[in-house]
Amino acid sequence: MKSDKIHVDTLVVGGGIAGMQASLDLANQGHQVALVEHSPSIGGMMIGLSKVFPTLDCCSCITTPKMAATAHHENIQLLTYCEVQSVTRNDDGFSVQVIQKPRYVIEDNCTGCRSCELVCPLDLPDVENEFGRTAHRVIYVPFTTAVPQKAIIDIDSCIFCGKCIKACPADCIDFTQTPQTLRVEARTIILATGFKVTPYDAKKEYGAGNLRNVIDAMMMERLLAPTGPYGRVLRPSDGKLPDSIAYVQCAGSRDETLGVPYCSRVCCMYAIKQAMLISGALPMADVTIYYMDIRTFGKGYEQFYQNAKAMGIEFVKGKVGRIVEDEDQNPIVRVELIDDNSRVAENKHDLVVLSVGMLPGYDTQPIYDVATAKDGFVQIPDSNVAPTVTTQEGIFATGTATGPMDIVDSIITAGAVAAEASAYMHLHSGSPAAPAAD
Amino acid sequence: MPEQSDKSNPPEKELGLAPDPSPEEEPRIGVYVCNCGGNIGDVVNCKQVAEALRNIPNVVTSHSNMFMCSDPGQKLITDDIKEKGINRVVIGACSIFLHEQTFRQAVERAGLNPYLYYHVGLREQDSWVHYNHPEDATEKAIRLMLAGVAKARKMEPLEPVRLQAEKHALVIGGGVAGLRTALDIARSGLKVTLVEKSHFLGGRVAQWERVFPTGETARTLLQRLLEQVQAEPDITIHTGAKVVKTKGYVGNFQIHIRQQPRGIKADFDAVDQAIAACPVEIPDEFNYGLKTRKAIYQPYSGCYPAGPVVDWEHCTHCEKCLEFSHNHDINLDDTPIEFDINVGAVAVATGFRPYEPFPGEMGYGKFPEVITLPQLERLLAADGPTGGKLEWNGRSVRSLAMIHCVGSRQVDDVHQPQPDGQVNNYCSRVCCTATLNAANIIHERLPETRIYDVYTDIRTYGRGHEDYYTLASKNGVTFLRYFVEDIPEVYPAEKGSYYSMLVKVKDQLTWGEEIELPVDLVVLAVGMMPNPVDDLIGLFNITPGNDRFLLEVHPKLSPVETSVVGIVLAGTAQGPMNIQESCTAAAAAASKVVVLLGRGQVEMEPYVAQIDIERCQGNGDCVRVCPQEDAIKLETFSKNGTSFQRAVVTPANCNGCGVCVSTCSHRAIDVLGWRLDDYEAMVDAITAEIPVLEGVPA
Ligand SMILES: Cc1cc2nc3c(=O)[nH]c(=O)nc-3n(C[C@H](O)[C@H](O)[C@H](O)COP(=O)(O)OP(=O)(O)OC[C@H]3O[C@@H](n4cnc5c(N)ncnc54)[C@H](O)[C@@H]3O)c2cc1C
Ligand SMILES: Cc1cc2nc3c(=O)[nH]c(=O)nc-3n(C[C@H](O)[C@H](O)[C@H](O)COP(=O)(O)OP(=O)(O)OC[C@H]3O[C@@H](n4cnc5c(N)ncnc54)[C@H](O)[C@@H]3O)c2cc1C
Ligand code: SF4
Ligand code: SF4
Repeated sequence: MKSDKIHVDTLVVGGGIAGMQASLDLANQGHQVALVEHSPSIGGMMIGLSKVFPTLDCCSCITTPKMAATAHHENIQLLTYCEVQSVTRNDDGFSVQVIQKPRYVIEDNCTGCRSCELVCPLDLPDVENEFGRTAHRVIYVPFTTAVPQKAIIDIDSCIFCGKCIKACPADCIDFTQTPQTLRVEARTIILATGFKVTPYDAKKEYGAGNLRNVIDAMMMERLLAPTGPYGRVLRPSDGKLPDSIAYVQCAGSRDETLGVPYCSRVCCMYAIKQAMLISGALPMADVTIYYMDIRTFGKGYEQFYQNAKAMGIEFVKGKVGRIVEDEDQNPIVRVELIDDNSRVAENKHDLVVLSVGMLPGYDTQPIYDVATAKDGFVQIPDSNVAPTVTTQEGIFATGTATGPMDIVDSIITAGAVAAEASAYMHLHSGSPAAPAAD
Repeated sequence: MPEQSDKSNPPEKELGLAPDPSPEEEPRIGVYVCNCGGNIGDVVNCKQVAEALRNIPNVVTSHSNMFMCSDPGQKLITDDIKEKGINRVVIGACSIFLHEQTFRQAVERAGLNPYLYYHVGLREQDSWVHYNHPEDATEKAIRLMLAGVAKARKMEPLEPVRLQAEKHALVIGGGVAGLRTALDIARSGLKVTLVEKSHFLGGRVAQWERVFPTGETARTLLQRLLEQVQAEPDITIHTGAKVVKTKGYVGNFQIHIRQQPRGIKADFDAVDQAIAACPVEIPDEFNYGLKTRKAIYQPYSGCYPAGPVVDWEHCTHCEKCLEFSHNHDINLDDTPIEFDINVGAVAVATGFRPYEPFPGEMGYGKFPEVITLPQLERLLAADGPTGGKLEWNGRSVRSLAMIHCVGSRQVDDVHQPQPDGQVNNYCSRVCCTATLNAANIIHERLPETRIYDVYTDIRTYGRGHEDYYTLASKNGVTFLRYFVEDIPEVYPAEKGSYYSMLVKVKDQLTWGEEIELPVDLVVLAVGMMPNPVDDLIGLFNITPGNDRFLLEVHPKLSPVETSVVGIVLAGTAQGPMNIQESCTAAAAAASKVVVLLGRGQVEMEPYVAQIDIERCQGNGDCVRVCPQEDAIKLETFSKNGTSFQRAVVTPANCNGCGVCVSTCSHRAIDVLGWRLDDYEAMVDAITAEIPVLEGVPA
């Protein structure tokens, strides 16, 4: 049972890769950490990816062990499916009110055996993880590698037939659960609330989400993932294996009309990665990437780009003005080819992927009173020297909560935020300063 | 403790129930084959492998699973340990480097000694190399797993070697990254010694004018950081200092430092006169040779530590400066001092140097009108050679071209390689925004000046960087795009032309048209290369990557750690980064140091040599071949009045390489965890007949 009053050194908000890594680094230094995640499982966006650049490691192989390490660390307390309600400052730091949302399953008793899933008679589209391309039961474990492995009931869809109650060997179904309030006393808070992707249906010119064979890159990640819906890349309209796939870069970034003037920094690399994975999965398919600038700036990233070119992936400099479809729902991309006398071409593809950008995952203003900058991400006043320090003393931020970045950079900022929080707590611990060195 | 399980308190929650097996205990082996999300499973038939292992003696259970490393995968193991009494675990999966710790922790959680698990590499050593031969790969997997089981039968519980650790870290390099690392380690309660090879702190940032993305002057930023470092009592700084010798291992490195003297007392009050008196003039590296300096110098006023130093390399001992020296303020006979410190960990923050174009590359070194971006920064700096005025040949620059990617993103056969035969094929990531930042500063000061920006891709990727690009466009900067196959040419205009230089660009933005840009000045946006640190690489056994920057273990799992435990990387020593990224990496490096040393104790692998004292004859071959210092020695023992010699191992100094094992003719040495018997059993298992399988679906 979660105690309803928890004392920790640090409360980490958000259980994506940045939040998990920050928790682990602090816990390994001996600090007590509580990690609040509002979804039923930790893992964040990363757990949904296929393979990850620049190493092309299978994403689960990096994420799932981190999830397990976080869950099993003796200094970390996981508060999944919880929402921070209010934060008040006190002499020692913060007093935080957290709401535990009801799973309708007794968390401490559920063993994740999934017997309930076998008997539940109703299927729901899995919108959270698979864009509705697969289904799960009304009572379900969020996904196979979820942490914790605990079932949850979508109470709005439940018909209360009671089959799960009979099937559960641990007696943990409880339709009467209500939200519980927990109080967390913490000396510091770390915001690791992550990002969401720019909406793929925002741009009228790109079909506003109405073209069936125009998908966003996150959907493509799922199609490429070993745990994905079909186990291979099929296009949505007719399930055909696509022969010609195009990427439209900066779809949702560097675009004043969408209110996203900044570069999202990961989309060039993930598009190249996906193009390589597609070339592996569908060796006969042509992959074209329409771009304005290719921004492969990280360590080893330029070579990654050059490898992709050598593999035959086509890079075309041009701004895509419009996407329409023909009678067979093949997307037709209208593009001004800058490298070819600015000729306007209309190219037909089987599948078009929009390289969507990053938006802040959460507004930290109302509850934490932590200022955000004009891009909506957490404002970092001294971003050069103190890249994880927010406008509120004792509250720090890390990962994509502080702006678009990839996994490598998220992990590094997580290490940095741990150092910052640890130093802050050391400074405010009241312990006598160590004797001066010569 | 509740004995029987009831539903509200399931047995899974109880830790530490299963006892370690005693050596006589019958091995009960659990076998687990991981699909690795297709990495293995797409090639190797994992189900078949698990089946093949099922009926092998001592194997109690055998599974295959999509992700053994995930929580459900780990639970499979921990449940088997607790419920089926498994006391040895064999996992066929990815690489041991990735997940040995993961599985050890899982096994330990279930109450088993973590060294009773053996990891078989089925990815790097099987599925990835034999992806075209799935059937053979499956057979190989079976053989490798059989060998693993053979080894598992012989495994014994081990304890890591635990050593006292110094709560003291060394930081090498005093740029922003080194300063930030030192600060963060000290602020978490450990002692820090920082050595900087030059006589001043701050590194390259001290040379810049106004920095992106905050727009503050570089000096203000540096000042802020330096003040914090100075206020930190647990940081000791040695400038003019280098690491010259090292010994030891994580927790206990002995570092030998040599420090050059400054030659001048800090309170010397006739600095200007002494500098004026010095007759030596050499190019001033702080200003990238745009002016000269004396053999007594300080790089800039306000530098830290304050006050000038003697440049020993160039001082001719003419003693002209001594005229102004009272009370031996200047001491030209000062000699270096050497001293030792003991530290538990080391952060390498040795930074970068700008790419130096080859003589004649885009006119550099041939025409004085061709300069580099760092030189431009000095021209824009208030304390630079022109006092911040962008002047060339005595008049304001009216037109200039800035060319990107010089010394970065190079390709073989197009660019001239470095002495090691490699071109710089990486992006230096800072130069795009730094160039646009400089362009905007120039526009602000000289709105009439024409600025051409000649690029390949504009990489203003970071938070706030794109604004510099947008502003430059607004400021009327003209952008032209070149392809790497058509490098812009730089040559002088005809005599008497209004502008002295021409830059010819095949511009992709205007359909590949060749355009000649008439300019006063050409600025090459040179990339970054690591400061040369071959000495440190040798001393610490760390490794550079192909790009010559120091290499991390894994970009995601251990992004700031080197392959030597206890040595971490901070800032641009590891790769191109801007200030923010350098400080972030530095703080992350500090975090790892605090994790390592915070408890005052470090743990090392138990794989060290062990002597069988009954078999040892004391002939000392092992001592002669051992490459480690103080790892193995002969000691004198006596029994019944006769004395004799026997080998004795100091586990802390032994790295388990096993050279001694191979020389011992009496088979008196084994490396714990890797005994010769283990190898023999494994080889036998690999070469044995493999179990025939029927009816297992592919
Ligand atoms: C299509 C695509 C492909 C990508 N491919 C790669 C790749 O190959 N390699 C790579 O390096 N990077 C890749 N990335 C980038 C990568 O996904 C991110 O860098 C990384 O996931 C960021 O981690 P994070 O922890 O900062 O944020 P997130 O993963 O977003 O985690 C934030 C967590 O916080 C939780 N949360 C949010 N608000 C609250 C709240 N108020 N209370 C409690 N919890 C909250 C969320 O539920 C989530 O679990 C890709 C991105 C996309 C979109
Ligand atoms: C032209 C230009 C403009 C730039 N402008 C900006 C900008 O506007 N904004 C921004 O964010 N970034 C900018 N940068 C990047 C910035 O300069 C770097 O991010 C920063 O200097 C990196 O700091 P560092 O500590 O890693 O390395 P450095 O600054 O190189 O410091 C390394 C230190 O280590 C010392 N050292 C080296 N070897 C040894 C040794 N063996 N023993 C002891 N000490 C040693 C060196 O003497 C030096 O003091 C710019 C870079 C360039 C080239
Ligand atoms: S990373 Fe590439 S695709 Fe993404 S916004 Fe930046 S330039 Fe566009
Ligand atoms: S940052 Fe820009 S100028 Fe520098 S190497 Fe990369 S692309 Fe070229």
